Amino acid sequence: MPLIEVKNLKKTYFSDNMETPVLKGISLGIEKGEFVAIMGPSGSGKSTLLHMLGFLDEFTSGVYNFEDKPAKSYSKNEVAKIRNEKMGFIFQAFNLLPKSSVLDNVKLPLFYSKTKEKDWDKLALSSIDRVGLSHRVNYEANQLSGGEKQRVAIARALVNNPDVIFADEPTGNLDTKSGGQIMEILESINKQGKTIILITHETYTAQYAQRIIHLKDGVIESDEQVKERKTSNKDGFIK
Amino acid sequence: MKLTYTLKTALSSLKAHKMRCFLTILGIVIGVLSIILVMSIGQSAKELILNQIEGIGAKTIAVEPGREPKGPSDFLEMFSDSLKEKDIALLKNPNNVRGLAEIAPVVYQSVVVSYQSETKRASIIGSSALMAKILDIYPETGDFFTEEEIRQDAAVVLLGYEIKQELFGPSDAIGEQVKIKNKTFRVIGIFPKKGMISMFDVDNLVLVPYTTAQKYILGINYFNEFILEAETESIVPTTVKDIETTLRESHNISDLEKDDFHITTQADAIERANTITSILTALLTSVAAISLLVGGIGIMNIMLVSVLERTREVGLRKALGATDNNILSQFLLESIILTGLGGTIGIILGIFFAFIASLILKTIVPLGWIFTISFKAIFLGLFVSAFVGVVFGLYPAKKASQKSPTEALRYE
Repeated sequence: MPLIEVKNLKKTYFSDNMETPVLKGISLGIEKGEFVAIMGPSGSGKSTLLHMLGFLDEFTSGVYNFEDKPAKSYSKNEVAKIRNEKMGFIFQAFNLLPKSSVLDNVKLPLFYSKTKEKDWDKLALSSIDRVGLSHRVNYEANQLSGGEKQRVAIARALVNNPDVIFADEPTGNLDTKSGGQIMEILESINKQGKTIILITHETYTAQYAQRIIHLKDGVIESDEQVKERKTSNKDGFIK
Repeated sequence: MKLTYTLKTALSSLKAHKMRCFLTILGIVIGVLSIILVMSIGQSAKELILNQIEGIGAKTIAVEPGREPKGPSDFLEMFSDSLKEKDIALLKNPNNVRGLAEIAPVVYQSVVVSYQSETKRASIIGSSALMAKILDIYPETGDFFTEEEIRQDAAVVLLGYEIKQELFGPSDAIGEQVKIKNKTFRVIGIFPKKGMISMFDVDNLVLVPYTTAQKYILGINYFNEFILEAETESIVPTTVKDIETTLRESHNISDLEKDDFHITTQADAIERANTITSILTALLTSVAAISLLVGGIGIMNIMLVSVLERTREVGLRKALGATDNNILSQFLLESIILTGLGGTIGIILGIFFAFIASLILKTIVPLGWIFTISFKAIFLGLFVSAFVGVVFGLYPAKKASQKSPTEALRYE
């Protein structure tokens, strides 16, 4: 049973009597523990697909089953609960609260969870430790470098121990060294059994995945297993 | 989501925009301040007026010419000459009016009193000794005029403290002669400094026998008012009924609608004063409430800006698991904190300014102004400001909560 299954998924944006079809019938399945990269040029619909899969937006037609249950059958509150407990998001623009500390940023998903308040700090600190930012716990987010910000975002995505991590161009705003460090972290998370769905337009970043799906003009152009998966070297970046 | 966290988030978001918050709550502060101030001054004015009326005494009955004014056109009726000398004799007859202890006919006007080269404008009252008893004023030096002097239209006068001071200074005035409308009057008594009693400025009063006032000063044969005193408080309603019957008979009135006099008791006066002050307070409070409404619109405006500015934050929170209600309560709490804070500051400032106003009014109004704080106003201020927070915060909060995460995250 795939964790994520979509059949003929379509998304059309409507504005001022104009219809813009972005996804034109996507069908795919993603198993638990997979590391999938979705690639494609700008406007191919990769981010839109990620938003549909992450329950951040509603699709126009088709079928989306999450954990074998149709997405449309979930109520708004159930969707919020799934996003909180089963999904973690990493965005290209980091999306941190700039005036809040690293600790507070990482704690953010816990506020909306059932986790007891007394456990918040412990969980957040452990998550921050996983991304190697224990020395920056009390820094404000706007005092950090780009790479550090993205590591905070990863710590935040991991804090509720989700099943699947959606990463939308996580290295897009970073230099190659920082980008490498981020990919190294994602690789290790995947090794711990988390499903990772990565959106990227960089081939060398996508090579970290087990499977690469190419989108073009809202349809799947190719869906292939990576024959020679790249791994990070000891300097923290891919060869 | 925990309430403490929602509160913390709301506070830190407000802390990030201190100046904006200050300007936003200013409207609420002014609105609540005005309500507290107006209601407090209204309450003090009411108590002052009621005290003054109560000072007249519960047994006192006033008969005035003309029917009770029910509209602006009826005020002319007050200048009617319906109350005559013959009415006094009829009212004094115990067969006509039960329970009547005393009656004092009253005439009054504003006149100029002069002594040598000094002149002073004063209120002249022509009455009898009962007037002094009702007002509880007795000459400090000299004597009151006698019934005999009333009968003889004696040209004698009692002066209020201020008039005496202005005309005579520290010198003794008893036995001296003052002029009113070219008629010479002998000063027979001086009242002590008393201030205002029952709306009369006793210090600026010139008291003469009513017969003298009618004959030499006003040139009239009617009265401006009869002041009567009942034997007991409980008999007042009976006495009032008897007065009505007697005067109607005396004035040949068969149609009750055509009465040419009206009677006021202390209870009537209290009720009337209560009504007037309550209406005035309500009117001024509604004006103050308008400023609170404007303040509320200011809150809504700022909250809308805040929602717009934090669109991405809303998107992020939703992506991380916040429900619509979580977002709604966060923004609603922010606006309630703003208005609650404004309300509290407004109440504190309102009490402070009401106190300052009472200090100023004490010097302007020589009536013994009392500083009162209406708890109703404090409660109203708190309730209304919190209500404004909920009402005007609800729309922006609802707007924020309904944003789709993707749309919000894409917002630039």
